[in-house]
Amino acid sequence: MLSHLRAELVLAARILMRQPGFWVPTILFPAMLYSFFGASMAEGPAGIYALASFAVYAVVGVGFYQFGVSVAQDRETPFVLWQRSLPGAQWVGWAARIVVAMVVVLAAVGMVLLAGRWIGGVIPGRGETMRLLVACALVSVPSVLMGIALGSAVSARAAVPLSNLLFLPLAYLGGLWMPPALLPDSVAAISVWTPTRAMGEIAWAAIDGRAMPGRYLALLAGWTLLAIALTALAQARHRRAMFG
Amino acid sequence: MLQAIEARGLAKRFGAVTAVEGVDLTLAPGEALGLLGPNGAGKSTLLSLVTGLRPADRGEIRIFGHPAGSEAARKSMGLTPQSAAFPPQITPRELIAYASARHGKRPDTDRLLTAFGLQRLIDRRMAGFSGGEVRRVALALAFCGAPRLAVVDEPTTGLDAATQEAFQSLARDYVASGGAMLLTSHHWDEIEAICDRLTMIDRGQRVLDGTLAEMRATMRINRISLVVDGAAPDWLPAPDTDGRRHLESADSDAVVTRLVREGVGFRDLLIHPLALKDILAHLRHEV
Ligand SMILES: Nc1ncnc2c1ncn2[C@@H]1O[C@H](COP(=O)(O)OP(=O)(O)OP(=O)(O)O)[C@@H](O)[C@H]1O
Ligand SMILES: [Mg+2]
Repeated sequence: MLSHLRAELVLAARILMRQPGFWVPTILFPAMLYSFFGASMAEGPAGIYALASFAVYAVVGVGFYQFGVSVAQDRETPFVLWQRSLPGAQWVGWAARIVVAMVVVLAAVGMVLLAGRWIGGVIPGRGETMRLLVACALVSVPSVLMGIALGSAVSARAAVPLSNLLFLPLAYLGGLWMPPALLPDSVAAISVWTPTRAMGEIAWAAIDGRAMPGRYLALLAGWTLLAIALTALAQARHRRAMFG
Repeated sequence: MLQAIEARGLAKRFGAVTAVEGVDLTLAPGEALGLLGPNGAGKSTLLSLVTGLRPADRGEIRIFGHPAGSEAARKSMGLTPQSAAFPPQITPRELIAYASARHGKRPDTDRLLTAFGLQRLIDRRMAGFSGGEVRRVALALAFCGAPRLAVVDEPTTGLDAATQEAFQSLARDYVASGGAMLLTSHHWDEIEAICDRLTMIDRGQRVLDGTLAEMRATMRINRISLVVDGAAPDWLPAPDTDGRRHLESADSDAVVTRLVREGVGFRDLLIHPLALKDILAHLRHEV
């Protein structure tokens, strides 16, 4: 079991690390966007909320891209089929990929924190940082599940453009790029139903040390269940297509 | 003795396509079984049932007594799929280490390197590997867990002649040392070189099954060919475009005696036992 997990971790990490074109932008992009827009838009005490927003944006990005795209690409490849013929449980491979994704999330969030310090002049306290990291870890679970749903539902070719199409508007609608208060009214009405808004609210509450907002926890749980249901449906469809 | 494979009444459909229909298979340790059949006959589908990659619609499969696809079955088995592809970022050495770890074994890289001629490739990332190079890696991976059963789907397709021969001799050694091998092939000579037994399937059904020795014994037919100068007796067939007359007989001695007795002016006489391919054609004709 342990040697299996180690082998999967090494394999997943090697495959990822040897594609710098993939992980470098994933890690740098949120920090870059924060530096260009987030840092200047929210000055003073609001600055820390912008920091939290872009940290959440980084988490959602890894969930959508690393999982959405890789799940679609890996489905039914000869390599994955061959792996299934080897001894050992299938979930170990998934666990390894999630661990590797967590490392990437941590790096991306870390870059946002560094950009906050150097460019935004925002230095969260130790408690705030810890709570923000916990919120990011919490939010990464629905992100990954939504990525898996996306990757299960569509072909590998469609996964990249589709995750762009969903991810970028969702980040905007959810108030991750600019505070929800600054969103036009029509957008604000949609915003309160998006999963990204729920994730943002959770992170902002964490910064303040407030109780998690119940409405948004429920909303996020709803989206997560929807993602799980979509995954189950799509997987059943693939199984039928493959197993006859 | 516990069979490496024991399968009864296997059936598998894909929508309207019946890929496998009521096939029985047995394979003992120390034996090699060749699966033959035209494209689309159901060979690869049958292997996917045996390896547990797909569930059978009907029938039962045991691998050393364990259900196909179970942990115990996967532990005792190594697979080379018909179409193999690997992540381009990874090297063969890393793949061998990975597969060995999943089998809970120490990688025996040196032995696999020489067996499959991978020395120069071992530390290169697989992006840009040629078809035959990928094939060699796929074959080496089937053997990294020291399996008791090797399942190889068209092992030597795309390999150069030297590597084909190397694989055949490795396969014979593997079987001689007690390994069980199930292989598919479109090369008759490969089946003859490696297998003790063959099963022929067509449109998902088993049409022929037996040991090569039995098949040869029941088909003791020789193929005779010769050139006749001048008049030929009626019982000889007309010459082919190459000018030679070809006939088959279970008693080639009698044919030659008759030619001499009747004073036929023949030359360039050739007598060959039937090739496996022709034996199978005869046997299938009789079925
Ligand atoms: N996933 C699938 N979906 C639908 N049909 C399939 C699937 N896999 C195989 N088939 C069909 O089942 C039949 C058997 O295919 P299979 O791959 O087992 O043939 P094969 O004997 O291995 O042929 P080849 O010599 O070309 O490798 C074919 O008619 C094929 O089209
Ligand atoms: Mg095949």
